[in-house]
Amino acid sequence: MSFDTVAVIGGGPGGLRAAHGIAEIGGTALLIEERDFLGGTPIAENYAGLTPHGEPARPQIQAMIDAVTASPGVQVLTSTVVTAVSGEPGAFTLTMRGPDGERQAECGAIIMATGFGHFDPGRETQMYGYYEFPDVITLSDLESMLSDHKVVRPSNGEPPKRVCFVQCVGSRDRHIGNEYCSKVCCGVASKEAIEVRQLVPDSKVYIFYIDMRMYGYWENEIYWPAQEKHHVQYVKGIISEVLAKGDRLLVRGEDTTMGRPMELEMDMVVLSVGMEPSPGTKKMARLLGVQQNKYGFVDAVKVPLDTVTTSREGVFACGAALGPADLEDTVSSAANAAMKAIAYLRSRAAAAAS
Amino acid sequence: MPVSGRKVPPRAVELETATVASPISGREVELPAMWNRMFEPRVLTATSPDEFEKIISLPGGESLEWCYGCGKCVPVCPVDVVGEYGPRKLHRKVQTGIDLLVDDDLWLCTTCGNCLRVCPKQVDMIQIMPAAREAALTDGASVPGELQDVFEKTFRYGNALGENPRRRSAWTRSAGVPVRILPTDPSPVDVLFYVEDYWSYHPRGQQAAQAFARVATALGVDFAILGHEEKTVGDSQRLAGEKGLFDSLVEDVTATLAKYEFARIVTPDPHAFNALVKEYPKRGHQFDVLHYTQLLAPLVGQISWARELDLTVTFHDPCYLGRHNGEYDAPRTLINAIPGVTLVEMGRCRENGYCCGGGGGGMWLDGFTKNHAAERLSERRVREAAQTGADVLVVCCPYEVSRFEDAAKSTGHDNLKVIDIIELIDQAMGLGPADA
Repeated sequence: MSFDTVAVIGGGPGGLRAAHGIAEIGGTALLIEERDFLGGTPIAENYAGLTPHGEPARPQIQAMIDAVTASPGVQVLTSTVVTAVSGEPGAFTLTMRGPDGERQAECGAIIMATGFGHFDPGRETQMYGYYEFPDVITLSDLESMLSDHKVVRPSNGEPPKRVCFVQCVGSRDRHIGNEYCSKVCCGVASKEAIEVRQLVPDSKVYIFYIDMRMYGYWENEIYWPAQEKHHVQYVKGIISEVLAKGDRLLVRGEDTTMGRPMELEMDMVVLSVGMEPSPGTKKMARLLGVQQNKYGFVDAVKVPLDTVTTSREGVFACGAALGPADLEDTVSSAANAAMKAIAYLRSRAAAAAS
Repeated sequence: MPVSGRKVPPRAVELETATVASPISGREVELPAMWNRMFEPRVLTATSPDEFEKIISLPGGESLEWCYGCGKCVPVCPVDVVGEYGPRKLHRKVQTGIDLLVDDDLWLCTTCGNCLRVCPKQVDMIQIMPAAREAALTDGASVPGELQDVFEKTFRYGNALGENPRRRSAWTRSAGVPVRILPTDPSPVDVLFYVEDYWSYHPRGQQAAQAFARVATALGVDFAILGHEEKTVGDSQRLAGEKGLFDSLVEDVTATLAKYEFARIVTPDPHAFNALVKEYPKRGHQFDVLHYTQLLAPLVGQISWARELDLTVTFHDPCYLGRHNGEYDAPRTLINAIPGVTLVEMGRCRENGYCCGGGGGGMWLDGFTKNHAAERLSERRVREAAQTGADVLVVCCPYEVSRFEDAAKSTGHDNLKVIDIIELIDQAMGLGPADA
């Protein structure tokens, strides 16, 4: 390893794309992943289908992993965390702890691909009873069921007859401190709603929302088919509490169209939890000394036209380390970060040669 | 529990008396009212979207489920302006388990088409309403009596008014010009003038028909009518749900038309026009059809005017001429050509024209809709017309003269006259009976 290497921290879709991108344009990358496997959150959380089109997650991500591991320009370190950074832009030295103990590596530039974590619905100020009722689950809990092609109520193992999604859990909320929109949950919930309807055809599926935020083609590729082909019932107005009623759940909200209170019985409630910076994002940002916003995401300091440059020279970031991002955003910014990092190294080398 | 568009506070419901049957003796015991007092629950509970199934399985009903609740339709729905019915609310009602086929809302839509114009999801009430109404009729669900009466009259007499078919051409006698009646004189003709019900029978409509005959004659138009052989084209009956009746009218009407040689059909009725250009072709019957304003607009340069009228007028776009068929200019070309007439537009005109309440069967449902509206649509429209300061509300749909004249009286705008364009032209050409 040397200063013409780019260190990529995080082996999820963003990190994989960045490392592969660096290798594709003839650079060398060192991919460092804390977990003992590559693939990041889609694999760790057992995602079923990728939004928007629902291609099975595992083979898609595996193809990214294979591309990286087959690249001679990429060295992969799993079960490895960065514990210290020294040196200066263009000549960093990373100290890492891995299975074989502590080691050091030199690199000229760093890409943070440290991603996001799901909001913990236990912190929700609404009374959703996530830890109280087994049949209250999150989007990622349901993803896991969907990847096993088996959607059942956790309380009794029966297929649910009535399922509802509650949007904006942990997002757009001053109480919680997450004022931002998490951007993907409307699409993911709608995609999962379609999958539930397909797996449990006699189920009624509702989505309670503030406003459906289906960016770009998600509108006509997920939202409209969910409603028009799969008969998912969209209801404007968020559920504000979930109560037990016999062995079912009573969700209470407002019928905003008619201006009346609304109480509906459900077999399963899915909380559309938003995105927060992952612990790794916060830790690495501190370690690398890059500026974070009030939520803990990495600040891209040259937005809108440069989305990957951070406050520290030689350090770039991509994907959900920068804020809520879908997979398309993530791989786009990752490729962008790869290009920027290589360009940075080459411009330094050119300057040194002249 | 009524589903309503506005917040309704809990209401004490008290019946005068109530009876309870004893589970032991079976004897009925009368209870005083205080035992039967209750609050109507406002909370919406135990709903299911199952009722969608019934509607979306009907050909034409599919789009009811597509609503994403943007709310654009509600401010442009003429019925919502005066009541609680609204297309978006209808979606929500069905989503909460209301059976549209037995709900009063089924009969409130006038199929004016303004919601479809603004709807980003193309939820098409113009298809949904006739389909659902037809299903309700087939199911034997209760149809408002006054509408049922019109269906029966149309079936029996071939016109919505229940008038004697023999009297269809009665208006021609005092037209002041000869009007050729095809069954009597079946030689080929250029324009088959399809008079339709209200110009044939309604006294004010007959005056307009006579004016048309005089103007057309003065302009050298070769025209003739079907006389007692004419039956209504039936479009409003179709939109009100009587597809079977409409289908049999199509057969009768086209069989009659097949007997005569003519180049084109001209009708004063935008509803007939709509059916002849859109529905008849679907059933294999293609005609060259014009609304009378489209016949006359190109001839406007040939008119020799006899006088200036000195009138400020405003014009009401018929939904089925304007929004449904895109003709906004022909009537205005005629109005603007009349000497001494100044046209002042209402706020809602052309694409956003407000419905008179007569379409889609609304013409025959005024008694029914009274219970669901603060005022009639025609009354709302007349007040809008009066606000422009116009002397005359000019129309070109046979439903409108009678609707707006009643509304002008009931809203205290007696000085606002309601006149068909053809009557103004007739006056300005100096052809009317007063001038003869």
